[in-house]
Amino acid sequence: MTHKLYTSPDRKIRDEILVRFASDERVADANLRVGVLNGIAHLAGMVSSVEIRILAAEFASDVPGVRGVVNRIEAPGAPCPGRTINLNLENDKENIDYE
Amino acid sequence: MQQSRLEALFSKIRQFENLPPETLEHIAKVALPRHFDAGQVIYIEGEPAESVFLLEHGWVKATRMSLDGREQAMLFLKAGEIFGDIAVFSETDYPGTVVALEDVDMWVIPASEFMKLVGNDPVLAMAIIKRLSERVLHYIGLVEDLSLRNVQARLANTLLQHAEILDGQLMIPRRLWTTFDEMAIRLGTVRDVLSRSLKILEAEGFLKVEKHKIIILDPQGLALRGNL
Repeated sequence: MTHKLYTSPDRKIRDEILVRFASDERVADANLRVGVLNGIAHLAGMVSSVEIRILAAEFASDVPGVRGVVNRIEAPGAPCPGRTINLNLENDKENIDYE
Repeated sequence: MQQSRLEALFSKIRQFENLPPETLEHIAKVALPRHFDAGQVIYIEGEPAESVFLLEHGWVKATRMSLDGREQAMLFLKAGEIFGDIAVFSETDYPGTVVALEDVDMWVIPASEFMKLVGNDPVLAMAIIKRLSERVLHYIGLVEDLSLRNVQARLANTLLQHAEILDGQLMIPRRLWTTFDEMAIRLGTVRDVLSRSLKILEAEGFLKVEKHKIIILDPQGLALRGNL
């Protein structure tokens, strides 16, 4: 599917997260899915451990412009990806859903 | 086999039940069956829209996160629903996140194939337009609900919309995935406020909350509360 030529800030953030993921083989191998909307990064896919799951969230959080991270990545022992997730982003506080 | 499954699926969709066999044949050629376990993510908001989904079995939930980080339910979709199409038509990213509430089966059509199908088939295009129009009306209702009605009124309306007559009683059976959190995000509120609202409506004699169902005792009264 082709997309419009205008690149939104969210799309740029998404691209940077994907580049960050590609630079670390632990995360790159998982081929994770990334979406960014209103500066909030949403992650999904499957990894082999909770540690890699957290690492991916931290990588996403480090990208400039990311206000929060919704971590729906599946891993053994990780919480259900489809659970209700609320972040505390009032006053633009950074927030990662580590659960 | 694939086509007969799709025929059975489309027969459940009012606007699609009269699609000509050749249209079904075209769809069957490009649609891929997929299964998701309960709780799995089908797509996430802000992800490029690369597919359209036809839900064959089970329920899914579409949510979107607000600017302040609160999850807001947009839609609960059951078998026979199509989703992902709005983002594909508008060539944007998915506007919401969709997760499986129970084990679900669906058909996935790649966006480019979907656009070709719609472009080449006026009957299919008209059926899609009808579906989208109904979706627009749903969102108009949602905006009205969130802006004009308090939680108790929204709760009253939602209960009436989902009520069924079972064993001679008007009730809302509790599905496996229905929790207070799910109901709260559906109503654009939080668990505590929802719980309080249910207690108020129960104390006023409109309904009775049981473990696996909510029985509506006074539908007329509840309807009046819904218009507050």
